[in-house]
Amino acid sequence: MDIFSDLVMGLTIAISPINILYLLIGAVVGMIVGVIPGFGPSAGLAILLPVTFGMDPIGAIMMLAAIYYGAMYGGTITSILLNTPGESATVASTFDGFPLAKQGRAGPALVMQAVASFVGGTVGVILITILAPMFAQVSRSFGPPEYFLLALMGMLTLIVMIGAQWKLGVISALIGFALGTVGVDLETGQSRYTFGSAELIGGIYFIPIAIGLFGLGELFYAFYSGLHKTGSGGIVEYDKEERFWPTAQDWLSTRITMLRCSVLGFVVGVIPGAGATIASLMAYSTERSLSKNGDNFGKGEMAGLVAPETANNAASSGAMIPLLTLGIPGSASTAVLLAAFLLWGLRPGPLFMEQNPEFAWGLIASMYLGNMALLAISIFAIPLFVQIIKVPYRVLGPCVVVVCALGTFSVHASFVETFLMFGAGIVGFFMRLYGFSAAALVLALVLGPLAEEALRQTMTISRGSFAIFVERPPSLWIIAITIALVVLLPLLNRFGNSSSGKAEKAGQ
Amino acid sequence: MRIAFFVALLAASIFYSYIAFADLNFMTRSGRLGPGFFPRILGATAIVMTIWALLDEMRNEDAPHGAAQQWRDVALLMALALGYAVLLRLFGGLVATVIFLAVALSLLNRGKPLKNALISVLVPAFVYLLFDRILNANMPPALIDLPI
Repeated sequence: MDIFSDLVMGLTIAISPINILYLLIGAVVGMIVGVIPGFGPSAGLAILLPVTFGMDPIGAIMMLAAIYYGAMYGGTITSILLNTPGESATVASTFDGFPLAKQGRAGPALVMQAVASFVGGTVGVILITILAPMFAQVSRSFGPPEYFLLALMGMLTLIVMIGAQWKLGVISALIGFALGTVGVDLETGQSRYTFGSAELIGGIYFIPIAIGLFGLGELFYAFYSGLHKTGSGGIVEYDKEERFWPTAQDWLSTRITMLRCSVLGFVVGVIPGAGATIASLMAYSTERSLSKNGDNFGKGEMAGLVAPETANNAASSGAMIPLLTLGIPGSASTAVLLAAFLLWGLRPGPLFMEQNPEFAWGLIASMYLGNMALLAISIFAIPLFVQIIKVPYRVLGPCVVVVCALGTFSVHASFVETFLMFGAGIVGFFMRLYGFSAAALVLALVLGPLAEEALRQTMTISRGSFAIFVERPPSLWIIAITIALVVLLPLLNRFGNSSSGKAEKAGQ
Repeated sequence: MRIAFFVALLAASIFYSYIAFADLNFMTRSGRLGPGFFPRILGATAIVMTIWALLDEMRNEDAPHGAAQQWRDVALLMALALGYAVLLRLFGGLVATVIFLAVALSLLNRGKPLKNALISVLVPAFVYLLFDRILNANMPPALIDLPI
C-alpha cells in the first residue's frame, strides 16, 4: 500500500489553493499553446519556463506539466474545426475529426476528443503511479556506463524515427552536443570554446536555444508557410449544429478503443524518442486494422478520432517515466521539463522519488487533477479557444517575438542570451526548412554534458577499457533493448505512416 | 541557399574540430580522458556527416525553392525581430516593445490602424505588469532614457 499512501500524500500537497490555481493556469495556457498551429508543447514550455521562476518549485512544475499535457487537448480543436493540426501529435486527429465536423457532427467530435484525451491521460497517470516506483527500483543498480548508454539510446531512437532524413538528424544532434561542450570543463577546469568571454564560462544556457528554436524558429517557419495569410476562414461553425452531445452509439462503439489505445500510447510514450506523434499514428493504424468499420476510417468514423486522441495523451504520460526515474528525457518537451527540474536544483533519476517524495508524488497527483480540469475546460471553454483560433497569425507573430525576447531576458538579465535566442531562432528556421531536427539538437544539448560526464567516469572506472559496457548485465540489457528499438521502431513508424496515408486518401 | 547553409555548417564543424585538436588535450596528465576527448569525436563526426549530407544535397536537384513572396515575408519578420533586439538594448523592455509592435503591426496587419495602436499599447502594458510587477522578473533596462 506504499504507492497508495504516497499518492495520498501527493494529493494533499497538490490540493492547495495556490497549486490548484497554477494547475488551472497551466491547463488553460497549454490548451492555448496547443490551439495555435505551429506551436507544440515544447515551444509552449520553453517560452513560458522563465515565467515560472518566481514561483514555488512544486507549483511551477505542476504548471509546466499541465502546459505539457494540456497542449495535447488543445491541439485537436483546430484539427476538428479547421483541418489544421495544432501540433504534430494531433495530425492523425484530422483524418476523421474534420470529416465528422463537415458532416455536422463537430460538437460530438469535440466532446469525444475531450473524453478520449481524459481517458488516455488518466490511464497514463495510473500506469505512472504503478510503474514509476518499479522503474526506479530497477534503475538503482545503474552506474555511469548505464547512464551513458541510456543517453545514447535516447538519441539513437530519436534519430531512427526521423527516417529518410536521418543524416540531418545526426548533424542536428552533433550541433547540440557541440554546444553542450562550451564552458569550463568541470574535471580539469580548462575553458572550452569560450573565446575569452565571461558570459560563456558557465556554458551555453539551454533556455535561449530552446526558446529560439521552438518559439522564433517555428514562428518564422509559419510565416514562410503562409499561415499568416490563410486565417481561419474555413472554420466549421459548430455552434449552429442541432446536437452538441455525442450519442449512446458514439460512447459504446469507442469504449474498447479508448482502453486499448491508452495502453498502446503509454507503452510507445515510455520509449525514448518515439513520443506522442508516433503513438497517435500507430493507434490510428491499429484501430483501423482491428475495427469492423475499418473502411469508414478517414470518412468520419468516431473511433478514428478517439484512437489517436487517447494514444497521444497516454504517450505524454508515458514519457514522464524515463524522465522521472532515469533522468533521461525522451522528447524535446520532456527535455525542457528536465531543464526546469535542473533549474530548481532537482536531478531526476533512480533516487528522485525516494529523496523528493513530496515533489514527485505532488506532480503525479497533480496530473490526475489536471486531466479532470482539462476535461471540463476542453468541453465548456470551446468558444474561448475558437476565438483564439480566429486571432490572425500576422497579429499573433509579433506578440510571440515579444514574449520570447522578454522571457529569455528575464532568466539571467543577459543581453547576450537574448541575442543568442534571436540567433537560434534564425538558425532554427533554416533547420526546419531544410529538414534538420530541432528536437534532436535540444535533446543533445541537455543530454550532451550528462553523457560526456558519464563516459569519462566510465573510462576512469574501467581504466580506459570499453569492455565495461559488455561486462555489466544492466549495460548489456540496455544495449540489447537499444538494438531492438533501432530495428523495430522504423518498422512501426512505417506501419503507422502507411495506414495514415490510406486514411488521408479515403478522406479526399 | 540550401547548399550555402550546408557549407556554413561544414565551416563551423571544421572550426570546431580545429580548436578541439589544437587547443584541447585528448588525455589529462594523470592519464584520464581530457577536455578534448569528446569535442574531437564530435568535430570529426560532424565533418564527415556534413560532407556526406552536402554531397547528397548537390546530387538532389529537385530540392524545393520557396516563392519570392514567402521569402519576403519571413525576411521582413526576421529583420523586425533583429531590429527589436537592438531596440531592447537601446530603449529598454517597455518602450522598445511599444515601438516594435507599432512598426511590425503597421507592416504586417495593414489597414487596421486603431486595432494595431491598441495592441501596441495594451500588449506591452500587460507584459510589463506580468514580468515586472507580478513575477518580479528582470525587464531589459534602457541604455538611452526617453523623456516620457
